[in-house]
Amino acid sequence: MTKYDAIIIGTGAAGGIVAGVLAEAGKHVLLLERGPALSFSEVGRDHLRNQRLSIYGHNAGPELEGNPRVFVDPAGNQRTVQPHEPDYHNNAACVGGGTRVYGAQAWRFMPTDFRMASTYGVPEGSSLADWPISYDDLEPYYELAEWELGAAGDGTALKDQIPRRRDYPLPAVPSSPQTVALKSGAQQMGWVTSPVPLLINTLPYGGRDACIACKYCVGFACPTDAKSGSQNTMIPRALVTGHCKLTTEAIVERIETDERGAVTGVSYLTREQGNVKAHSERAKMVIVSAGAIESARLLLNSYSPYHPNGLGNEHDQVGRNLQGHLYPRAYGLMREKVFSGIGPGVTLATTQFNHGNPGIIGGGMLADDFIKPPIDFWYDSLPPDLPRWGLANKRFMRENYTRVLHVRGPVQDIPSPEGRVTIDRGVRDRRGIPVARLSGSTHPATVVAAEYMRRRGEEWLRASGCETIWSAAPGLKLSGGQHQAGTCRMGLDPHTSVTDEWGRVHNHDNLFVVDGSLHVTNGGFNPVLTIMALAFRSATHIATAHF
Amino acid sequence: MKLTEQQQQTLRAAVDRIIPQDDYPGAWESGVVDYLTRQFERDLRPAFDDYCNGLTALDAESLARFQQNFSQLSEGDQDHVLRLVETGEVITMWEVAPHSFFDLLVRTTAEGFYSEPEQGGNRNAVSWSMVGFE
Repeated sequence: MTKYDAIIIGTGAAGGIVAGVLAEAGKHVLLLERGPALSFSEVGRDHLRNQRLSIYGHNAGPELEGNPRVFVDPAGNQRTVQPHEPDYHNNAACVGGGTRVYGAQAWRFMPTDFRMASTYGVPEGSSLADWPISYDDLEPYYELAEWELGAAGDGTALKDQIPRRRDYPLPAVPSSPQTVALKSGAQQMGWVTSPVPLLINTLPYGGRDACIACKYCVGFACPTDAKSGSQNTMIPRALVTGHCKLTTEAIVERIETDERGAVTGVSYLTREQGNVKAHSERAKMVIVSAGAIESARLLLNSYSPYHPNGLGNEHDQVGRNLQGHLYPRAYGLMREKVFSGIGPGVTLATTQFNHGNPGIIGGGMLADDFIKPPIDFWYDSLPPDLPRWGLANKRFMRENYTRVLHVRGPVQDIPSPEGRVTIDRGVRDRRGIPVARLSGSTHPATVVAAEYMRRRGEEWLRASGCETIWSAAPGLKLSGGQHQAGTCRMGLDPHTSVTDEWGRVHNHDNLFVVDGSLHVTNGGFNPVLTIMALAFRSATHIATAHF
Repeated sequence: MKLTEQQQQTLRAAVDRIIPQDDYPGAWESGVVDYLTRQFERDLRPAFDDYCNGLTALDAESLARFQQNFSQLSEGDQDHVLRLVETGEVITMWEVAPHSFFDLLVRTTAEGFYSEPEQGGNRNAVSWSMVGFE
């Protein structure tokens, strides 16, 4: 007899939902999280150590000591990187995962985002592919995610581009002066706009209070718990059933298999009174929800004589197609003040350029930005020709912090199989477990799209009244970071995918991956609502079909 | 991790050229040196030697060019020396790459000036009222 029906590894956007759905279906669940549960004050408001600006560290983990990764640059130079360095591609390590400190943009992908290869063809060197499911398959679960967690938006705004049967449960965030300017610019050019959908309570919802419009959304925790993440929605629901045990600061070493290669449970390590304690726990099934980098790392580290290359990796697919988003951005100077000081700050988007751009594969959404702390603005947003010091710099900050209009957005990643996660057995974390090694880059077609979107951003600002405009488009690099996805893609063919359409690892009955790793492509949008919708879909299937 | 008296004086003068006083306080008055002193015991511990070497070299460079320590120069001459350091056009021996030291000086001064007062700088959140953040 096994004690647990399921062991879920990771409490982020997907793991929390899977735990909630299974526990409410009466299944006995062990939910393991590598980080601690962090209170509002423990996350704090450190402007130099947060998920958005991590000059000296992170406010939501992982700790800088003992959690290295290995990064290989395009020239093949390999080095060890720490969690606060950009090349680490970090996501938060605490209960709730990235959702503890995210901005909570709640975008659905578009129908075309599930059919990228059919729509555009596959450029040479890319692993672009269609999803094994369609938008229509996922639509009911987008709705479930929006209603179970609490999304705020305008359901009528994009109904031609992104069909929906039901409106959002909460009204969209209110406009600010920047919204008015950007809306007028878009109207002049005939561009479609909509309020940015957010998993933020614009009114009390789900037993939690409404947003108080503070300036600390992305990168920080919410003072009124109005921002909805796993930690304040589905995990509490899982725990209240009495069927779910949450163990924090538990590092999973490997997924265990028997002499025939079948998954039996996991081994993991905790700290008790200063000592490391090893645990081994059996379950009917194991569900990996550790994020695209750590999920791939765990499967690869779970090698055995029966699975010498790691679990699910018979065809060398685990860890490939790592993708996130390149983020082109543009800034412009307005005559009048556009800063309202009203959080979250992001209000208006255009989805005019997600598809149908001449000569471009894909495209992306553009939106205004979350309120930036002044030091973040200093690092991120100043014109490249402004002196970095002296009175000129100080005056620019003084006169223009409130007059700079920003737009930015995620560009659909055209994946490369060489952008990937492997393991480095020569570099180990504080528990002695081989770390993730990141190498390769996105496909050059992504850079072409990013440059195209940068120009659209500039156009938008000019039409909105900006006189001086500056911008940046990223070059060819690995994309991952908080939007990391794609490393255990779902598909019909085991030679080119890792799981089936439910996240079940090919050739295993009781091993699932449920998180952004499943994404075949990552849309031209923040991917979290898609991660959540897939988690509801997989968890519902698992609860009914696999016990 | 303590600067010498002379390095302190040089630092105080240098941060005040990176973010000078106008009708809002400059870097020193707003507490940037307090921010840095705290950071030398923490995140900037690995950069402390570079900081010390850079400050000493800044004085040597000023002496070679103007026969005075950096802190005794006019503001115009201080800016002149800093610009040469920024572009690497130094005439004395530097133990730290001049542009690396300059980059460190500029960004850590901005961090102390614009980040939250709990970090030790930005006294009374003066930079936040100045820019209009609060």
